[in-house]
Amino acid sequence: MNDDKFDQTMMFKVKTEEDISVREVLQNVYDALKEKGYNPINQIVGYLLSADPAYITSHNNARALIKKLERDEVLEELVSTYLRETK
Amino acid sequence: MDKIIVVGGNSLKGKVKISGAKNSVLPIIVASLLSEGNCCINDVPRLADVYTICDVLGELGASVESNNLGMLNINCKDINKIEAPYEYVRKMRASVLVMGPLVARLGKAKISMPGGCAIGTRPIDLHLKGLEALGARISVEHGYVLAETSGLKGARIYLDYPSVGATENIIMAGALAEGITIIENAAEEPEIVDIANFINGMGGKIKGAGTNVIKIEGVKNLGSINHTIIPDRIEAGSFLVAGAITGGDLLLENVIIDHLKPVVAKLIEVGAEVTEEGTGLRVRSNGVIKAVDLKTLPYPGFPTDMQAQFMSLMAAAQGTSIITETVFENRFMHAEELRRMGADIRIEGRSAVVDGREKLMGAEVKATDLRAGAALIIAGLVASGETTVSNLYHIDRGYDNLVEKLRAVGASIIRC
Repeated sequence: MNDDKFDQTMMFKVKTEEDISVREVLQNVYDALKEKGYNPINQIVGYLLSADPAYITSHNNARALIKKLERDEVLEELVSTYLRETK
Repeated sequence: MDKIIVVGGNSLKGKVKISGAKNSVLPIIVASLLSEGNCCINDVPRLADVYTICDVLGELGASVESNNLGMLNINCKDINKIEAPYEYVRKMRASVLVMGPLVARLGKAKISMPGGCAIGTRPIDLHLKGLEALGARISVEHGYVLAETSGLKGARIYLDYPSVGATENIIMAGALAEGITIIENAAEEPEIVDIANFINGMGGKIKGAGTNVIKIEGVKNLGSINHTIIPDRIEAGSFLVAGAITGGDLLLENVIIDHLKPVVAKLIEVGAEVTEEGTGLRVRSNGVIKAVDLKTLPYPGFPTDMQAQFMSLMAAAQGTSIITETVFENRFMHAEELRRMGADIRIEGRSAVVDGREKLMGAEVKATDLRAGAALIIAGLVASGETTVSNLYHIDRGYDNLVEKLRAVGASIIRC
Protein backbone atom coordinates (compact mmCIF):
# COMPACT_ATOMS: atom_id res chain seq x y z
CA MET A 1 0.00 0.00 0.00
CA ASN A 2 1.24 3.41 -0.87
CA ASP A 3 1.55 5.65 2.21
CA ASP A 4 2.26 8.66 0.09
CA LYS A 5 -0.98 10.66 0.20
CA PHE A 6 0.24 13.45 -2.00
CA ASP A 7 -1.51 11.92 -4.98
CA GLN A 8 -4.87 12.61 -3.28
CA THR A 9 -6.77 15.86 -3.52
CA MET A 10 -6.07 17.93 -0.43
CA MET A 11 -7.25 21.33 0.72
CA PHE A 12 -4.83 23.78 2.24
CA LYS A 13 -6.00 26.80 4.16
CA VAL A 14 -3.48 29.53 3.75
CA LYS A 15 -4.04 32.60 5.87
CA THR A 16 -3.62 35.48 3.48
CA GLU A 17 -2.64 39.01 4.35
CA GLU A 18 -6.12 40.09 3.28
CA ASP A 19 -7.79 37.81 5.88
CA ILE A 20 -5.65 39.31 8.61
CA SER A 21 -6.28 42.78 7.40
CA VAL A 22 -10.10 42.52 7.48
CA ARG A 23 -10.00 41.11 10.98
CA GLU A 24 -7.51 43.72 12.19
CA VAL A 25 -9.37 46.62 10.66
CA LEU A 26 -12.74 45.46 12.03
CA GLN A 27 -11.21 44.90 15.46
CA ASN A 28 -9.59 48.35 15.53
CA VAL A 29 -12.78 50.03 14.33
CA TYR A 30 -14.80 48.04 16.88
CA ASP A 31 -12.49 49.15 19.69
CA ALA A 32 -12.57 52.81 18.63
CA LEU A 33 -16.39 52.80 18.47
CA LYS A 34 -16.60 51.12 21.87
CA GLU A 35 -14.20 53.65 23.39
CA LYS A 36 -16.45 56.45 22.15
CA GLY A 37 -19.52 54.86 23.73
CA TYR A 38 -21.27 53.62 20.58
CA ASN A 39 -22.70 50.15 19.98
CA PRO A 40 -19.90 48.92 17.67
CA ILE A 41 -21.86 46.16 15.92
CA ASN A 42 -24.77 48.49 15.17
CA GLN A 43 -22.41 51.12 13.77
CA ILE A 44 -20.37 48.71 11.63
CA VAL A 45 -23.54 47.10 10.24
CA GLY A 46 -24.91 50.58 9.50
CA TYR A 47 -21.76 51.40 7.55
CA LEU A 48 -21.83 48.14 5.61
CA LEU A 49 -25.49 48.70 4.68
CA SER A 50 -25.33 52.36 3.77
CA ALA A 51 -21.68 52.99 2.78
CA ASP A 52 -21.79 56.16 4.86
CA PRO A 53 -18.53 56.64 6.82
CA ALA A 54 -20.43 58.91 9.25
CA TYR A 55 -21.28 55.66 11.07
CA ILE A 56 -17.63 55.24 12.00
CA THR A 57 -15.93 57.54 14.48
CA SER A 58 -12.82 59.41 13.43
CA HIS A 59 -11.37 58.47 16.86
CA ASN A 60 -8.09 56.53 16.51
CA ASN A 61 -8.27 56.97 12.74
CA ALA A 62 -11.08 54.37 12.57
CA ARG A 63 -12.95 56.15 9.77
CA ALA A 64 -9.89 56.24 7.52
CA LEU A 65 -9.08 52.65 8.43
CA ILE A 66 -12.43 51.15 7.42
CA LYS A 67 -12.25 52.99 4.12
CA LYS A 68 -9.22 50.87 3.23
CA LEU A 69 -11.54 47.89 2.80
CA GLU A 70 -14.04 47.33 0.01
CA ARG A 71 -17.45 46.72 1.59
CA ASP A 72 -18.30 43.82 -0.71
CA GLU A 73 -15.07 42.08 0.27
CA VAL A 74 -15.80 42.59 3.97
CA LEU A 75 -19.28 41.13 3.51
CA GLU A 76 -17.88 38.16 1.56
CA GLU A 77 -15.38 37.55 4.31
CA LEU A 78 -18.03 37.83 7.03
CA VAL A 79 -20.42 35.42 5.31
CA SER A 80 -17.76 32.85 4.49
CA THR A 81 -16.26 33.03 7.98
CA TYR A 82 -19.70 32.69 9.56
CA LEU A 83 -20.60 29.68 7.45
CA ARG A 84 -17.24 28.06 8.14
CA GLU A 85 -17.43 28.59 11.88
CA THR A 86 -21.07 27.61 12.38
CA LYS A 87 -20.80 24.29 10.49
CA MET B 1 -26.23 97.30 8.11
CA ASP B 2 -23.18 95.02 7.69
CA LYS B 3 -21.73 94.41 4.26
CA ILE B 4 -19.04 92.14 2.86
CA ILE B 5 -16.67 93.71 0.35
CA VAL B 6 -14.66 91.41 -1.92
CA VAL B 7 -12.00 92.52 -4.35
CA GLY B 8 -11.56 89.90 -7.04
CA GLY B 9 -8.39 88.56 -8.58
CA ASN B 10 -6.59 86.61 -5.86
CA SER B 11 -5.96 82.88 -6.13
CA LEU B 12 -6.89 81.09 -2.90
CA LYS B 13 -4.04 79.05 -1.45
CA GLY B 14 -3.62 77.26 1.86
CA LYS B 15 -5.54 75.15 4.36
CA VAL B 16 -9.14 75.50 5.49
CA LYS B 17 -10.63 73.63 8.44
CA ILE B 18 -14.25 72.75 7.75
CA SER B 19 -16.73 73.30 10.59
CA GLY B 20 -19.45 70.99 11.88
CA ALA B 21 -22.46 70.64 9.59
CA LYS B 22 -25.27 73.17 9.99
CA ASN B 23 -27.82 70.72 8.60
CA SER B 24 -26.72 68.16 11.15
CA VAL B 25 -26.24 70.25 14.27
CA LEU B 26 -29.72 71.82 14.22
CA PRO B 27 -31.71 68.54 14.28
CA ILE B 28 -29.22 67.05 16.74
CA ILE B 29 -29.69 69.95 19.16
CA VAL B 30 -33.44 69.38 18.79
CA ALA B 31 -33.00 65.63 19.39
CA SER B 32 -31.54 66.50 22.82
CA LEU B 33 -35.19 67.10 23.79
CA LEU B 34 -35.63 63.32 23.75
CA SER B 35 -33.02 62.81 26.46
CA GLU B 36 -33.32 62.91 30.22
CA GLY B 37 -29.53 63.03 30.56
CA ASN B 38 -26.69 65.38 29.61
CA CYS B 39 -25.98 65.91 25.94
CA CYS B 40 -22.50 67.16 25.11
CA ILE B 41 -22.21 68.16 21.45
CA ASN B 42 -18.79 68.94 19.91
CA ASP B 43 -17.74 70.75 16.71
CA VAL B 44 -20.77 73.02 16.91
CA PRO B 45 -20.41 75.77 14.29
CA ARG B 46 -20.95 79.40 15.35
CA LEU B 47 -24.06 80.18 13.34
CA ALA B 48 -27.09 82.39 13.88
CA ASP B 49 -29.36 79.34 13.37
CA VAL B 50 -27.57 77.51 16.18
CA TYR B 51 -28.20 80.41 18.57
CA THR B 52 -31.87 80.50 17.49
CA ILE B 53 -32.46 76.79 18.05
CA CYS B 54 -30.74 77.03 21.44
CA ASP B 55 -33.15 79.87 22.30
CA VAL B 56 -36.06 77.63 21.29
CA LEU B 57 -34.81 74.90 23.62
CA GLY B 58 -34.37 77.46 26.39
CA GLU B 59 -38.00 78.55 25.87
CA LEU B 60 -39.08 74.94 26.32
CA GLY B 61 -37.30 74.73 29.68
CA ALA B 62 -33.97 73.16 28.67
CA SER B 63 -30.63 74.19 30.12
CA VAL B 64 -28.18 75.10 27.34
CA GLU B 65 -24.56 76.09 27.95
CA SER B 66 -21.92 76.78 25.34
CA ASN B 67 -18.21 77.49 25.36
CA ASN B 68 -16.04 79.17 22.77
CA LEU B 69 -14.52 75.88 21.68
CA GLY B 70 -17.59 74.76 19.80
CA MET B 71 -19.05 72.64 22.58
CA LEU B 72 -22.65 72.69 23.73
CA ASN B 73 -23.96 71.11 26.93
CA ILE B 74 -27.70 70.58 26.88
CA ASN B 75 -29.94 69.12 29.56
CA CYS B 76 -33.63 68.65 28.77
CA LYS B 77 -34.64 66.66 31.84
CA ASP B 78 -36.99 69.38 33.08
CA ILE B 79 -38.58 70.64 29.86
CA ASN B 80 -42.11 71.77 30.65
CA LYS B 81 -43.40 73.82 27.71
CA ILE B 82 -44.84 72.57 24.48
CA GLU B 83 -44.87 75.64 22.27
CA ALA B 84 -42.43 76.85 19.59
CA PRO B 85 -43.60 80.44 19.08
CA TYR B 86 -43.98 82.30 15.79
CA GLU B 87 -40.95 84.54 16.33
CA TYR B 88 -38.62 81.51 16.22
CA VAL B 89 -40.32 79.45 13.51
CA ARG B 90 -40.51 82.59 11.35
CA LYS B 91 -36.74 83.09 11.80
CA MET B 92 -35.79 79.50 11.29
CA ARG B 93 -37.82 76.79 9.64
CA ALA B 94 -35.92 74.00 11.43
CA SER B 95 -37.87 74.98 14.57
CA VAL B 96 -40.69 72.72 13.31
CA LEU B 97 -38.45 69.76 14.15
CA VAL B 98 -39.25 70.18 17.85
CA MET B 99 -42.70 68.75 17.14
CA GLY B 100 -41.60 65.10 16.99
CA PRO B 101 -39.58 65.04 20.22
CA LEU B 102 -42.08 67.16 22.15
CA VAL B 103 -44.99 64.89 21.26
CA ALA B 104 -42.86 61.87 22.11
CA ARG B 105 -41.69 63.25 25.46
CA LEU B 106 -44.64 65.34 26.68
CA GLY B 107 -47.55 64.05 24.58
CA LYS B 108 -48.25 67.47 23.14
CA ALA B 109 -46.67 70.10 20.87
CA LYS B 110 -47.81 73.46 19.53
CA ILE B 111 -45.80 74.88 16.65
CA SER B 112 -46.37 78.03 14.65
CA MET B 113 -47.07 77.10 11.01
CA PRO B 114 -43.97 77.93 8.96
CA GLY B 115 -44.88 80.31 6.17
CA GLY B 116 -43.46 80.23 2.67
CA CYS B 117 -39.74 80.86 2.75
CA ALA B 118 -37.26 82.36 0.34
CA ILE B 119 -36.65 79.16 -1.62
CA GLY B 120 -40.23 77.90 -1.95
CA THR B 121 -43.27 76.90 0.07
CA ARG B 122 -41.74 73.71 1.55
CA PRO B 123 -44.88 72.42 3.25
CA ILE B 124 -44.72 70.32 6.42
CA ASP B 125 -47.44 67.89 5.27
CA LEU B 126 -45.07 64.92 5.37
CA HIS B 127 -44.01 65.71 8.95
CA LEU B 128 -47.67 65.79 10.01
CA LYS B 129 -48.57 62.67 8.03
CA GLY B 130 -45.79 60.78 9.80
CA LEU B 131 -46.78 61.95 13.28
CA GLU B 132 -50.44 61.12 12.56
CA ALA B 133 -49.43 57.60 11.51
CA LEU B 134 -47.71 57.25 14.90
CA GLY B 135 -50.97 58.13 16.64
CA ALA B 136 -50.80 61.91 17.11
CA ARG B 137 -54.00 63.92 16.60
CA ILE B 138 -53.19 66.95 14.47
CA SER B 139 -55.22 70.16 14.33
CA VAL B 140 -54.53 73.65 13.00
CA GLU B 141 -55.70 76.66 15.00
CA HIS B 142 -54.90 80.34 14.56
CA GLY B 143 -51.72 79.71 12.61
CA TYR B 144 -50.48 77.02 14.96
CA VAL B 145 -50.28 73.24 14.49
CA LEU B 146 -51.28 71.29 17.57
CA ALA B 147 -50.21 67.65 17.91
CA GLU B 148 -51.51 65.58 20.84
CA THR B 149 -51.32 61.95 21.86
CA SER B 150 -51.88 59.72 24.83
CA GLY B 151 -48.94 57.62 23.60
CA LEU B 152 -47.23 57.22 20.24
CA LYS B 153 -47.26 53.75 18.66
CA GLY B 154 -44.87 52.50 16.02
CA ALA B 155 -46.15 52.32 12.44
CA ARG B 156 -45.01 51.70 8.88
CA ILE B 157 -44.77 55.02 7.06
CA TYR B 158 -44.13 55.53 3.36
CA LEU B 159 -42.94 59.05 2.54
CA ASP B 160 -44.24 60.41 -0.78
CA TYR B 161 -40.92 62.24 -1.12
CA PRO B 162 -37.65 61.54 0.73
CA SER B 163 -37.91 64.69 2.85
CA VAL B 164 -34.97 65.21 5.20
CA GLY B 165 -37.00 67.17 7.77
CA ALA B 166 -39.89 64.70 7.80
CA THR B 167 -37.50 61.76 8.13
CA GLU B 168 -35.80 63.46 11.09
CA ASN B 169 -39.08 64.36 12.78
CA ILE B 170 -40.42 60.81 12.45
CA ILE B 171 -37.13 59.26 13.64
CA MET B 172 -37.26 61.43 16.77
CA ALA B 173 -40.92 60.64 17.47
CA GLY B 174 -40.40 56.93 16.77
CA ALA B 175 -37.38 56.76 19.09
CA LEU B 176 -39.68 57.00 22.13
CA ALA B 177 -42.83 55.44 20.60
CA GLU B 178 -44.10 52.04 21.67
CA GLY B 179 -43.07 49.33 19.22
CA ILE B 180 -41.40 49.48 15.84
CA THR B 181 -41.58 52.29 13.29
CA ILE B 182 -40.45 51.72 9.72
CA ILE B 183 -39.90 54.65 7.37
CA GLU B 184 -39.89 53.73 3.69
CA ASN B 185 -38.59 56.08 0.99
CA ALA B 186 -36.70 57.83 3.77
CA ALA B 187 -34.14 60.55 3.07
CA GLU B 188 -30.59 59.12 2.83
CA GLU B 189 -28.59 62.29 3.58
CA PRO B 190 -25.51 62.01 5.85
CA GLU B 191 -27.29 64.27 8.34
CA ILE B 192 -29.84 61.46 8.86
CA VAL B 193 -27.01 59.10 9.77
CA ASP B 194 -25.63 61.66 12.20
CA ILE B 195 -28.93 62.12 14.06
CA ALA B 196 -29.38 58.32 14.19
CA ASN B 197 -25.86 58.00 15.64
CA PHE B 198 -26.74 60.66 18.20
CA ILE B 199 -29.98 58.97 19.29
CA ASN B 200 -28.38 55.50 19.28
CA GLY B 201 -25.58 56.88 21.45
CA MET B 202 -28.24 57.90 23.99
CA GLY B 203 -29.62 54.35 24.00
CA GLY B 204 -31.93 54.47 20.98
CA LYS B 205 -32.44 51.61 18.55
CA ILE B 206 -32.37 52.93 14.99
CA LYS B 207 -31.18 50.85 12.06
CA GLY B 208 -30.85 51.56 8.36
CA ALA B 209 -30.17 55.31 8.49
CA GLY B 210 -28.41 56.30 5.29
CA THR B 211 -30.56 53.85 3.30
CA ASN B 212 -34.12 54.43 2.15
CA VAL B 213 -35.64 52.10 4.77
CA ILE B 214 -35.14 53.04 8.41
CA LYS B 215 -36.28 50.85 11.29
CA ILE B 216 -36.77 52.42 14.72
CA GLU B 217 -37.47 50.33 17.79
CA GLY B 218 -38.91 52.63 20.42
CA VAL B 219 -37.34 52.70 23.88
CA LYS B 220 -38.78 54.02 27.16
CA ASN B 221 -36.19 56.71 27.72
CA LEU B 222 -32.87 58.04 26.46
CA GLY B 223 -29.79 59.02 28.45
CA SER B 224 -26.55 60.99 28.18
CA ILE B 225 -24.18 61.30 25.24
CA ASN B 226 -20.97 62.94 24.04
CA HIS B 227 -21.22 63.41 20.27
CA THR B 228 -19.18 65.10 17.54
CA ILE B 229 -21.02 66.66 14.60
CA ILE B 230 -20.03 65.49 11.10
CA PRO B 231 -18.18 68.01 8.89
CA ASP B 232 -20.27 70.37 6.76
CA ARG B 233 -20.28 69.01 3.20
CA ILE B 234 -21.85 72.21 1.86
CA GLU B 235 -19.25 74.47 3.44
CA ALA B 236 -16.58 72.11 2.06
CA GLY B 237 -18.21 72.18 -1.38
CA SER B 238 -18.35 75.98 -1.30
CA PHE B 239 -14.60 76.19 -0.60
CA LEU B 240 -13.87 73.63 -3.33
CA VAL B 241 -15.71 75.84 -5.81
CA ALA B 242 -13.89 78.93 -4.49
CA GLY B 243 -10.56 77.16 -4.97
CA ALA B 244 -11.46 76.04 -8.50
CA ILE B 245 -12.84 79.36 -9.74
CA THR B 246 -9.82 81.37 -8.50
CA GLY B 247 -7.24 78.99 -9.97
CA GLY B 248 -6.16 78.22 -6.45
CA ASP B 249 -4.71 75.39 -4.40
CA LEU B 250 -6.75 74.63 -1.27
CA LEU B 251 -6.44 71.77 1.18
CA LEU B 252 -9.64 71.17 3.14
CA GLU B 253 -9.27 69.52 6.52
CA ASN B 254 -12.02 67.80 8.51
CA VAL B 255 -14.09 66.45 5.63
CA ILE B 256 -15.83 63.16 4.90
CA ILE B 257 -14.85 62.70 1.29
CA ASP B 258 -17.70 60.28 0.49
CA HIS B 259 -20.24 63.00 1.30
CA LEU B 260 -18.72 65.20 -1.40
CA LYS B 261 -18.73 62.70 -4.28
CA PRO B 262 -21.34 64.44 -6.48
CA VAL B 263 -19.62 67.82 -6.05
CA VAL B 264 -16.14 66.41 -6.62
CA ALA B 265 -17.32 64.58 -9.75
CA LYS B 266 -18.61 67.86 -11.22
CA LEU B 267 -15.46 69.76 -10.26
CA ILE B 268 -13.32 67.18 -12.06
CA GLU B 269 -15.63 67.53 -15.06
CA VAL B 270 -15.07 71.31 -15.13
CA GLY B 271 -11.31 70.74 -15.21
CA ALA B 272 -10.25 71.13 -11.58
CA GLU B 273 -7.91 68.60 -10.01
CA VAL B 274 -9.35 67.15 -6.80
CA THR B 275 -7.30 64.67 -4.80
CA GLU B 276 -7.56 62.94 -1.45
CA GLU B 277 -4.72 63.80 0.90
CA GLY B 278 -4.93 61.71 4.05
CA THR B 279 -8.32 62.57 5.52
CA GLY B 280 -8.36 65.88 3.64
CA LEU B 281 -9.32 66.94 0.16
CA ARG B 282 -7.20 69.14 -2.10
CA VAL B 283 -8.47 71.19 -5.02
CA ARG B 284 -6.14 72.69 -7.61
CA SER B 285 -7.08 74.57 -10.71
CA ASN B 286 -5.54 76.76 -13.38
CA GLY B 287 -8.68 78.88 -13.34
CA VAL B 288 -9.88 77.68 -16.76
CA ILE B 289 -13.36 76.26 -16.16
CA LYS B 290 -15.29 74.12 -18.66
CA ALA B 291 -19.06 74.48 -18.80
CA VAL B 292 -21.02 71.45 -17.57
CA ASP B 293 -24.72 70.67 -17.09
CA LEU B 294 -26.06 69.66 -13.72
CA LYS B 295 -29.31 68.70 -12.04
CA THR B 296 -30.02 68.86 -8.32
CA LEU B 297 -31.41 65.72 -6.68
CA PRO B 298 -31.87 64.25 -3.20
CA TYR B 299 -28.69 62.64 -1.78
CA PRO B 300 -26.61 60.99 -3.18
CA GLY B 301 -27.41 63.22 -6.15
CA PHE B 302 -26.01 66.71 -6.64
CA PRO B 303 -27.10 68.81 -3.61
CA THR B 304 -29.51 71.70 -4.11
CA ASP B 305 -27.47 73.55 -1.48
CA MET B 306 -24.54 73.67 -3.97
CA GLN B 307 -26.57 74.83 -6.97
CA ALA B 308 -26.04 78.57 -6.46
CA GLN B 309 -22.26 78.25 -5.97
CA PHE B 310 -22.01 76.19 -9.17
CA MET B 311 -24.03 78.81 -11.01
CA SER B 312 -21.29 81.33 -10.14
CA LEU B 313 -18.70 78.84 -11.37
CA MET B 314 -20.59 78.33 -14.63
CA ALA B 315 -21.01 82.10 -15.05
CA ALA B 316 -17.21 82.27 -15.30
CA ALA B 317 -16.84 79.09 -17.41
CA GLN B 318 -16.04 78.60 -21.08
CA GLY B 319 -19.25 77.62 -22.85
CA THR B 320 -22.92 77.16 -22.02
CA SER B 321 -24.32 75.10 -19.20
CA ILE B 322 -27.81 74.12 -18.12
CA ILE B 323 -28.54 73.94 -14.41
CA THR B 324 -31.79 72.20 -13.46
CA GLU B 325 -33.25 72.60 -9.99
CA THR B 326 -35.58 69.73 -9.09
CA VAL B 327 -35.63 69.95 -5.28
CA PHE B 328 -37.01 73.44 -4.57
CA GLU B 329 -39.37 75.45 -6.70
CA ASN B 330 -37.95 78.96 -6.38
CA ARG B 331 -34.22 78.70 -6.00
CA PHE B 332 -32.83 80.87 -8.80
CA MET B 333 -33.09 84.28 -7.14
CA HIS B 334 -29.30 84.60 -7.12
CA ALA B 335 -29.38 84.57 -10.94
CA GLU B 336 -30.74 88.12 -10.93
CA GLU B 337 -27.92 89.25 -8.63
CA LEU B 338 -25.27 87.43 -10.69
CA ARG B 339 -26.60 89.22 -13.77
CA ARG B 340 -25.74 92.49 -12.02
CA MET B 341 -22.16 91.22 -12.05
CA GLY B 342 -22.27 90.65 -15.81
CA ALA B 343 -23.33 87.01 -15.83
CA ASP B 344 -25.44 85.83 -18.76
CA ILE B 345 -28.20 83.68 -17.25
CA ARG B 346 -31.68 82.91 -18.57
CA ILE B 347 -34.24 81.15 -16.43
CA GLU B 348 -36.56 78.74 -18.24
CA GLY B 349 -38.91 77.05 -15.80
CA ARG B 350 -36.87 74.83 -13.50
CA SER B 351 -33.69 75.31 -15.55
CA ALA B 352 -31.15 78.09 -15.85
CA VAL B 353 -29.14 78.49 -19.04
CA VAL B 354 -25.77 80.00 -18.19
CA ASP B 355 -23.48 81.39 -20.90
CA GLY B 356 -20.04 81.68 -19.38
CA ARG B 357 -18.31 85.06 -19.49
CA GLU B 358 -14.59 85.72 -19.61
CA LYS B 359 -14.88 88.29 -16.88
CA LEU B 360 -17.46 89.06 -14.21
CA MET B 361 -17.66 92.61 -12.89
CA GLY B 362 -17.85 93.71 -9.27
CA ALA B 363 -21.23 95.18 -8.28
CA GLU B 364 -23.51 95.87 -5.33
CA VAL B 365 -25.56 92.74 -4.77
CA LYS B 366 -27.72 91.24 -2.04
CA ALA B 367 -27.81 87.73 -0.63
CA THR B 368 -31.30 86.43 -1.36
CA ASP B 369 -30.80 83.28 0.70
CA LEU B 370 -27.99 81.49 2.51
CA ARG B 371 -26.35 79.67 -0.41
CA ALA B 372 -27.01 82.59 -2.76
CA GLY B 373 -24.88 84.68 -0.41
CA ALA B 374 -21.99 82.23 -0.72
CA ALA B 375 -22.42 82.17 -4.50
CA LEU B 376 -22.15 85.96 -4.75
CA ILE B 377 -18.99 86.00 -2.64
CA ILE B 378 -17.51 83.27 -4.86
CA ALA B 379 -18.34 85.30 -7.97
CA GLY B 380 -16.80 88.35 -6.29
CA LEU B 381 -13.53 86.45 -5.84
CA VAL B 382 -12.98 86.48 -9.62
CA ALA B 383 -14.87 89.64 -10.60
CA SER B 384 -12.97 92.73 -11.64
CA GLY B 385 -13.08 95.42 -8.99
CA GLU B 386 -15.16 95.48 -5.86
CA THR B 387 -18.26 93.41 -5.04
CA THR B 388 -20.39 94.51 -2.10
CA VAL B 389 -22.73 91.90 -0.67
CA SER B 390 -25.58 92.94 1.67
CA ASN B 391 -28.29 91.00 3.57
CA LEU B 392 -25.59 89.16 5.46
CA TYR B 393 -28.03 87.65 7.96
CA HIS B 394 -28.61 84.90 5.39
CA ILE B 395 -24.88 84.08 5.28
CA ASP B 396 -24.56 84.24 9.08
CA ARG B 397 -27.25 81.56 9.34
CA GLY B 398 -25.06 78.94 7.75
CA TYR B 399 -21.35 79.80 7.36
CA ASP B 400 -19.02 79.78 10.35
CA ASN B 401 -16.39 82.55 10.10
CA LEU B 402 -16.60 82.68 6.30
CA VAL B 403 -14.82 86.01 5.90
CA GLU B 404 -11.94 85.06 8.22
CA LYS B 405 -11.52 81.67 6.58
CA LEU B 406 -11.42 83.19 3.08
CA ARG B 407 -9.01 85.91 4.14
CA ALA B 408 -6.68 83.31 5.69
CA VAL B 409 -6.26 81.66 2.27
CA GLY B 410 -5.59 84.88 0.42
CA ALA B 411 -8.94 86.43 -0.47
CA SER B 412 -9.22 90.20 -0.35
CA ILE B 413 -12.39 90.38 1.71
CA ILE B 414 -13.63 92.42 4.64
CA ARG B 415 -16.84 92.79 6.59
CA CYS B 416 -17.82 96.29 7.55
